[in-house]
Amino acid sequence: MKLVWKLLRQHISIPQFLGFFFANLVGVVIILLGVQFYNDYKALDNEDSFMKADYLIVNKKIGALSGLTGKNNAFSGAEIEELKNEDFVERIGAFTPSSFNVKARFDVEGFVNFSTEMFFESVPDEFVDVKSDAWDYQEGSSEIPIILPKNYLDLYNFGYAQGKGLPKLSEGILGAMKLNVLIAGNGNNDSFDGRIVGFSSRLNTILVPEKFMQWANRQYAGGETVKEPTRLIMEVNNPTDDRITSYLQERDYETDEDKLDASKTTFILRVIVSIVMVVGVVISILSIYILMLSVFLLVQKNSTKLENLLLIGYSPAKVSFPYQALTVGLNVLVFVLAVIVMLLVRGVYLEMFENFFPDLQVPGIWQALVVGMGLLVVVSIFNIIAVYGKVMSIWKRKD
Amino acid sequence: MNKIQLIHTLPNVFQSRTDIVSDIWKQDVTFEKGKRYLVEANSGTGKSSLCSYIYGYRHDYQGQILFDGEDIRRYAVAKWTDIRKNHFALLWQELRMFPELTAWENVEIKNKLTGYQTKEQILEWFDMLGITDKLNAKMGRMSFGQQQRVALIRALCQPFDFLFVDEPISHLDDTNSAIMGRIMTAEADKQGAGIIATSIGKHIDLEYERVFNL
Repeated sequence: MKLVWKLLRQHISIPQFLGFFFANLVGVVIILLGVQFYNDYKALDNEDSFMKADYLIVNKKIGALSGLTGKNNAFSGAEIEELKNEDFVERIGAFTPSSFNVKARFDVEGFVNFSTEMFFESVPDEFVDVKSDAWDYQEGSSEIPIILPKNYLDLYNFGYAQGKGLPKLSEGILGAMKLNVLIAGNGNNDSFDGRIVGFSSRLNTILVPEKFMQWANRQYAGGETVKEPTRLIMEVNNPTDDRITSYLQERDYETDEDKLDASKTTFILRVIVSIVMVVGVVISILSIYILMLSVFLLVQKNSTKLENLLLIGYSPAKVSFPYQALTVGLNVLVFVLAVIVMLLVRGVYLEMFENFFPDLQVPGIWQALVVGMGLLVVVSIFNIIAVYGKVMSIWKRKD
Repeated sequence: MNKIQLIHTLPNVFQSRTDIVSDIWKQDVTFEKGKRYLVEANSGTGKSSLCSYIYGYRHDYQGQILFDGEDIRRYAVAKWTDIRKNHFALLWQELRMFPELTAWENVEIKNKLTGYQTKEQILEWFDMLGITDKLNAKMGRMSFGQQQRVALIRALCQPFDFLFVDEPISHLDDTNSAIMGRIMTAEADKQGAGIIATSIGKHIDLEYERVFNL
């Protein structure tokens, strides 16, 4: 094979291959960076693993007078039904508040001693994105899974702990600790272990499983009728839809609007990243076109040699191999370099990200790698077939 | 492969001609393994065409060519590769050597593929043909007569049932022609193979079974 290569490397044009190499490198780097940047950005935006971005929380505005006039700010059945029938709404669920007294205590020997009155709320389990076994309550069990607002942690870490010189707590440490929960009502008085499943930046409430809430409301609030919900959670098919905003405004409803904006930003970013990636794909395709042209030119220039090799008994597969190896080798080199360049660029922007979000959990690069590998395989298969086809045309030319 | 048969074979370009007098074209001809044949031809009677037809790189003929009774038009790429590698050696009139490679490399590129001859055997042939000093010379710098001898050595670097030599001694003196004849015969005898030689005048001296006029 060494001699065959010695023969067939004649007429290889280094400038042409360099041209391909750099053009394709630029294309592939753009594609990989697009994938990676989008993933990394999503990690920034979507810190909340308990709620998808497509969920909106809706409540009625509390005006200056509503508190005094006692005007009800709960949603009536008819209002919920109306919302449910809007075609931008996929699913809707109500927040169920607790009708009993809750007191929570948080003890860390020597560090923190924290005790507070609180309340619970629940939403239908299908809106909570936690593995079902972690978000389950068995009647009679003394352990309750709880999701706390991220704000609580921030208040403690950046306010309380900072001021008192106490250590800061991470989500991981808190998750391993137990919250002592005392529930009283209806003549009952019980103690529970609150297990913190996580922190949510979207939900400004203390969330427990719906199953627990139903049981506890029966147990500790007994005869009281179930209150109408004051807050609704809904899944919409497109959070950027303008109809949502106008619908909510018309009826004086409020939503966590900054999140609506965030989804808009994500949406626009997705469009921009898509455009950039299309540019990358176009550059790559053009560069592969250059590569194919120069390989074809090479085959043409060396056609007599190729023909003679075929005539002395070399199979078309053997004769194609050097050029196939050349193109595939170049592709692999481009892939490896592109990954390295992507990692370098990513290092730069991640450093900037981390200045803003010290707690940032960035995703791995496997998705970009898979995309890169996919490109590599598809392009290589295409190259291999094209070179073989060209050699076969030399085989057949004598027909 | 034991038998090559040509049944009413005629190059397409001769189709309109009615005055063809030939021992091969439009005849039933059989070449058998182990025997020697000479095909004598004048220029333009289709000698090179005959080569390319039975070596499978041109198919512009009518009639049939059969290898052991099988029509070679139906052969797939892999079959032809096998024939060229293991059954049928051809020394082209135009040699088809690689001018970029040395004499030794030109032989080696074939022998690497088949792994058939030993280095000693090849070097012995170089020696017998008096071109040992050209082993490392670029093919492109050698005279046609020298190239012809290297081409023969390359052709012998494979197992074959038939050796087809197209004007093998056109540029050789009688001494070298005789040596070439001896090498060819010895190798063909060793392999039990047939030889088909062509000439347009001076022909290589072998004990021919039959002489055809193309």
